[in-house]
Amino acid sequence: MSRECHISSLVVHSRPDRVQAISERIGLIEGTVVHGGAEAGKLIVTLETDTESQVVERINAIQLLDGVLAATLVFHHFEPVQERE
Amino acid sequence: MDLTRRTLLKTQAAAAAAAAANVTLPASAQNILTGEDLQLQWSKAPCRFCGTGCGVMVAVKDGKVVATHGDMQAEVNRGLNCVKGYFLSKIMYGSDRLTQPLMRMKNGQFAKDGEFQPVSWDQAFDEMARQWKRVLKEKGPEAVGMFGSGQWTIWEGYVASKLMRAGFRTNNLDPNARHCMASAAVTFIRTFGMDEPMGCYDDFEHADAFVLWGSNMAEMHPILWTRVTDRRLSHTHVRIMTLSTYEHRTTDLSDMALIFKPNSDLAIMNYIANYIIQTGAVNREFVEKHCNFRLANTDIGYGLRPDNVLEQRAQHANDAQVSNASSFEDYAKLMSQYTVEKASELSGVPKERLEALAKLYADPKTKVMSLWTMGFNQHVRGVWANHMVYNLHLLTGKISEPGNSPFSLTGQPSACGTAREVGTFSHRLPADMQVNNPEHRKHAEEIWKLPHGLLPEKVGYHAVQQDRMLKDGKLNAYWIMCNNNLQTAPNTNNETYPGYRNPANFVVVSDAYPTVTAMAADLILPAAMWVEKEGAYGNAERRTHFWHQLVNAPGDARSDLWQLMEFSKRFTTDEVWPAQILDAHPEYKGKTLFGVLYANGEVNKFPLSEIDPAYENREAKAFGFYVQKGLFEEYASFGRGHGHDLAPFDTYHQVRGLRWPVVNGQETRWRYREGYDPYVEKGSGVQFYGNPDKKANIMGAPYEPPAESPDAEYDLWLVTGRVLEHWHSGSMTMRVPELYKAFSGAVLFMHPDDAAKRHLRRGQEVRIVSRRGEIRSRVETRGRNKVPPGLVFVPFFDASQLINKVTLDATDPISKQTDFKKCAVKVVAAATADAGDVQ
Repeated sequence: MSRECHISSLVVHSRPDRVQAISERIGLIEGTVVHGGAEAGKLIVTLETDTESQVVERINAIQLLDGVLAATLVFHHFEPVQERE
Repeated sequence: MDLTRRTLLKTQAAAAAAAAANVTLPASAQNILTGEDLQLQWSKAPCRFCGTGCGVMVAVKDGKVVATHGDMQAEVNRGLNCVKGYFLSKIMYGSDRLTQPLMRMKNGQFAKDGEFQPVSWDQAFDEMARQWKRVLKEKGPEAVGMFGSGQWTIWEGYVASKLMRAGFRTNNLDPNARHCMASAAVTFIRTFGMDEPMGCYDDFEHADAFVLWGSNMAEMHPILWTRVTDRRLSHTHVRIMTLSTYEHRTTDLSDMALIFKPNSDLAIMNYIANYIIQTGAVNREFVEKHCNFRLANTDIGYGLRPDNVLEQRAQHANDAQVSNASSFEDYAKLMSQYTVEKASELSGVPKERLEALAKLYADPKTKVMSLWTMGFNQHVRGVWANHMVYNLHLLTGKISEPGNSPFSLTGQPSACGTAREVGTFSHRLPADMQVNNPEHRKHAEEIWKLPHGLLPEKVGYHAVQQDRMLKDGKLNAYWIMCNNNLQTAPNTNNETYPGYRNPANFVVVSDAYPTVTAMAADLILPAAMWVEKEGAYGNAERRTHFWHQLVNAPGDARSDLWQLMEFSKRFTTDEVWPAQILDAHPEYKGKTLFGVLYANGEVNKFPLSEIDPAYENREAKAFGFYVQKGLFEEYASFGRGHGHDLAPFDTYHQVRGLRWPVVNGQETRWRYREGYDPYVEKGSGVQFYGNPDKKANIMGAPYEPPAESPDAEYDLWLVTGRVLEHWHSGSMTMRVPELYKAFSGAVLFMHPDDAAKRHLRRGQEVRIVSRRGEIRSRVETRGRNKVPPGLVFVPFFDASQLINKVTLDATDPISKQTDFKKCAVKVVAAATADAGDVQ
């Protein structure tokens, strides 16, 4: 089966007193980058995964972090990966 | 994909999220990509699932929907999407999609005990018409019925209403919204004389406190929940209080959770009313000018079959809906019984928490938004529960202004727009009119250009009654559209399934997938869904929104609209209308129902040339006129000038929805308040103009116990509901692989102590048994739902675990809506005989 690359982004509403810790925890999840938004309590996060199912898994993992009020998808894009890469 | 491209895509993804969240990112991450999406045609549509009414952008490539994302221009969701909405593009492409009619056959003809075989539309409709005509001839219009949907488009509901009431002359038409929001709808009419909320989603940005009554918004209305959390995070004084019978995602995220015993929400609300009265927090001026007091009949039974002992014992089972004019003093006296001690004792909620909640409502400076869905509506006293929350807002005058808002959330995309506004309930006509009101029937006959006296006055069978009448053999020709009732109706094994297989009945199911309901039918009609047809929905905040047909349905699948109108061609007025009406109005003689109902000079007055040439429209092509426009404009004439004004048809294809009444092109965000609502007269401040005296009703009612409570044998409360990943019975979401994997089978959420007491381990298979039936499931003692001891929760999306075999068919006696939130069960290990085995 040909491999795919999925790029998606989320808004993660977080309790202000926990936002720093949440940002660090999300950073530890494979393929995630936190782009900013800590001041507003709305972290802007991108995910890079091999499958769509992993998108859902990552969102669920983020949802369940202590102090996360909501994790919501905004953007998704996928394309096949050339084996040579 | 090379690294630069990945980085670029991530930048684009982050920029989109930042724009949706209204967050500023560091300059390096701000490059919004404006590149064209190759070969993708993007169009707007509302989401297919819940009542929130999010806008989505839908991408079509080579005749197939390939992607969706949140619509940045949609006010409701501002670019965000929940996980269900995100996977919308996949709901139409399940591998078991129905693409041709299937009929039970033996030896080349229909047989109730036959096997499903593919047939043509002609064969299907021929048999169906033959059965309809047989039943009409043998038993008359009362033996014909239809179960519709809050997922129907506006015009589908409208066409069905005309076909049933004016064509077949029966009001045996009810939507699945009966199971979902009848209590809310009925109470709106009883309180304000008009259905649907006075406020709107803009209230989220104005409230100081959110009180969630039995609503798990974080999972069930995730996008609205982001608006609540946004408000909470940006304004530190804002509080979220959540009342529920168990802990869930929303209680975790609230400032205070009040976990109460099932049904005791009634006592809690009466206590708050009492607190408001005792502390002098009643807004006297508002109440005197704008409210009447009434007291409800009490001891009203539980909507069970009349021979049930609970009905026979009840004093007012037969006049449950009656209430009597009263006074503030009498109301205050009734409320005075509900002390904090009594409320705490009945509910199990600590007194301090009840007091903190009461203070929010009583404090004139705190703007309160109350939110509720199934916790109130699926309640044997659902109408009272709705009344009681309005009482709190009316006593304090906290209503019809930004942030002060009693707000009934909805579960289906067009429960408001179709089920309620079009009037597909067994007692309703369009624009809040009632079938048993002769003036209303006359008005409908005039708009529909039909002879006077044609419309039947008798209120039809409601949802639960339809099941009972099918079983009893009194309802014999039955069409189910756009819902999965065998999975979602209560006590299905005893009250629903027997009716479908009753040899006296012919049952037709129109659906996109072979649901359990479809598989129990005699004839299955394949349906087009969502963007496979032009559509219109109305969401919970009175927003009407449209979409175009974007792709074709597969195979022979056709929209409910086409099915209803095409079927109407097979009947002539002579076959279905009484001779005396035709003799008095001979011009209707010998015409088809299609002719008198749809080719009536109104519905067929817009030519095909008015259709946007960029889009397909199968129904219009099939009938030769712009069907949707004609139906909508005729329908809209019911409400224009009467507080239900809708904008012109074409406008809705341009905008992201408008909230009615739309007067002079302007939508209305807060009804009944001068300055916001054009129907309120200058100088009056507030007018609840749905009622003749322009006042709202404060309705006094007591706490009464549920129909069934745990006892020594059936020792646990059973609560049913949804989970985030799945919508309703899972007919669509279970076919999206990602959602299926995320939550593939229902489980029984149970408190660890209750599990230990029964020697059950997490993951063990168990039997959930009630007096009605039983199912098997697996124990879950952790996870997102944390139930208190004595209560279990089972979601209902899983067709392999039909929890509604276990539930009780008790309803609110006034709204006839089922209580899916409380009955008594026991839970035992599935294989007790094997208990000694070593495993």
